[in-house]
Amino acid sequence: MIDNELLNFIKRTVTKFLMEDYMPFPVNRSVCSEWANGMNIKKGLSEVVLFTGCSYQLAELGKKFDDILPSLARFKGIERFSSFAKAFYKPRNERANKILRNIAYLLKNSGVDFSYYEDEPYSGTILLELGMLDEFKQYAEKLVNFFVARGVKKIITVDPHTHYTLYRIKELNPSWNVNIVNYYELIKGAKAEGTYVFHDSCLYSRFLGMRDTIREVIKGSGIELKEDEMVTGKETSMCCGGPLAPINKDVSDKIARNRAEALKNVHNKVLLACPFCYANLSPYVEAYDFAEVVKIE
Amino acid sequence: MSNNKDWDIAIKRGVEHNIPRVFKVLREHPYLEDLARKVREGKLEVLSNLDHYIDMTIKAVEKIGGKAYFAENAEQAREIVGKIVGSKKRIVLGKSMVAYEVGLRKYLQSLDNEVWETDLGELLIQFADEPPSHIIAPAVHMTRERIRELIKEKLNIDPGDKHEDIVKVAREFLRQKFLTADIGITGANAVAADSGSIVLVENEGNIRMTSVVPPVHISITGVEKILPNLEYALYEALVQAAYAGLYPPTYINVTSGPSSTGDVEQKRVSPAHGPKEFHLVLVDNGRRKANEDNVLREALLCIRCGRCHFHCPVYRVLDGKWGDPPYSGPMGAMWSGVVYNDYKPSLMCTHAGNCREVCPMKINIPKVLEYLKHKYYTNGTKQ
Ligand code: SF4
Repeated sequence: MIDNELLNFIKRTVTKFLMEDYMPFPVNRSVCSEWANGMNIKKGLSEVVLFTGCSYQLAELGKKFDDILPSLARFKGIERFSSFAKAFYKPRNERANKILRNIAYLLKNSGVDFSYYEDEPYSGTILLELGMLDEFKQYAEKLVNFFVARGVKKIITVDPHTHYTLYRIKELNPSWNVNIVNYYELIKGAKAEGTYVFHDSCLYSRFLGMRDTIREVIKGSGIELKEDEMVTGKETSMCCGGPLAPINKDVSDKIARNRAEALKNVHNKVLLACPFCYANLSPYVEAYDFAEVVKIE
Repeated sequence: MSNNKDWDIAIKRGVEHNIPRVFKVLREHPYLEDLARKVREGKLEVLSNLDHYIDMTIKAVEKIGGKAYFAENAEQAREIVGKIVGSKKRIVLGKSMVAYEVGLRKYLQSLDNEVWETDLGELLIQFADEPPSHIIAPAVHMTRERIRELIKEKLNIDPGDKHEDIVKVAREFLRQKFLTADIGITGANAVAADSGSIVLVENEGNIRMTSVVPPVHISITGVEKILPNLEYALYEALVQAAYAGLYPPTYINVTSGPSSTGDVEQKRVSPAHGPKEFHLVLVDNGRRKANEDNVLREALLCIRCGRCHFHCPVYRVLDGKWGDPPYSGPMGAMWSGVVYNDYKPSLMCTHAGNCREVCPMKINIPKVLEYLKHKYYTNGTKQ
């Protein structure tokens, strides 16, 4: 069920890339911030920063990475090619960029003042999700230093994994004086329309206590949500399978198919709020992120 | 994982029956949540002073005319029971996870005893020589057609295709075993440290018969099943039944030592109609070590209601084979670490968190599993 060689490979390579370049695999870091091009958002040092954690930008790529992981792990010496590959590998993800731009608009329209980083690092969530806690602690320290050096007091997150990761980093470093807030807690007056069934992110719903906040924003926007106690309840809404993808693709896919089936029985259009849920569920069901159906004037 | 269609159908039906039923039970009897909180408190009280409570339980059992033993590991547990039983006996077993954990049935068979599981699901598991796939429904992975074939093969009787007829054939077969058994072995849902009583909750009636009809009753259970007193032990049975979705339970049995009567001048004498001997075997097998560990201690609070299984996205797709038998699902991934030092099952946790949400003992299962993942990377594990 679990391939030790594969796990060791992930542990070795992901940690290496993160420690060297703040990215989990050989990708050019500029992919994280290209969404902001032409948006006239402050760059660099500032007390309030919009931190994407590179989740939206890497989710689809991560899925491809999960597909090729087993063969990569068997290809000895792959690590040596990493820096070479990185210089060229700049995936474009228009959907992710659109979502992030929309989130920035929503924040601006709500009167939130913030900046962003052109050299934004990845959040480190993969280490936490796989339970590689020693490596996670190491990387967490690096991230804390990154933010402290830039004088950050408040971090705005846009996805559940980055938010939860920062929350855990703060737990590990209680002296880190920072306020972590999610964009759903800050935006006001978002408008949208249509009928959907909402697929809760496990982290938002059950680990971060944001289930109600998010539903209020969505329903307040004008969207109608279909509910079913067996499918969308706090205790019954299931994982999309995403976190298992790196270690067992088959199990991860089957969880996704089951979840998509259950959602489809409630409504054919699924709304969600997490890039990894989207990556895992969208092959099986018509899925949209809230930030992509929201109206932007 | 396999593309086992039987499993997909069986688990879907299990989920559809169980989840709404538990919700309904909890809505109709709101006091159950209160009792669950008390059971957690009682269990934590015992765990915070475990050796003291083990001692107290052993003394209490002896005071009421029973015999009590402490087994450090599986081997000792088998030996203790083996000595009480001897050989060439007929033994009926009530479903007990600890008996499975220590390999009791096969050991007793190797001593030339005839041993029969009496829980229907467990009997089917015995017939098929397969591991159980769920803690309260061990044969949940078998279809009716498969069960018919099994019975045909093992008992030389074709029960036909109907559920009722299958159950009837098994009942007739087992009834004869109950009535002629020398020894009955059960587990225990809870053990009361103050009175030395064991509490068992069930629906089939097999545990009643196992614990009352044969002349000797042996109960084998983990030390974490101890509660401070009989009041709490009874609460445990109610809570276990409710969160398993079978409430009210058909039977709750309290056994305090061998059978006795006070009818002749009010003097309590033993035996009466039930067993003349009662033995309690308290098994450690990794539990006390887990108890020393702040995170792993939480796993010891589990009351085996099996609710977390049905709410877990991973268990649902894994064919019942997640964790080391008899421990499966989210609780099984924790317990594989507790008793077998096997941390690998924890790696399959997606931290969906549903299990934590529904657990009557409020065990932070994802946290325990994250901790075991970390242990896997740092200490390694059996392969
Ligand atoms: S971990 Fe909790 S929900 Fe799961 S079987 Fe144990 S008590 Fe029940």
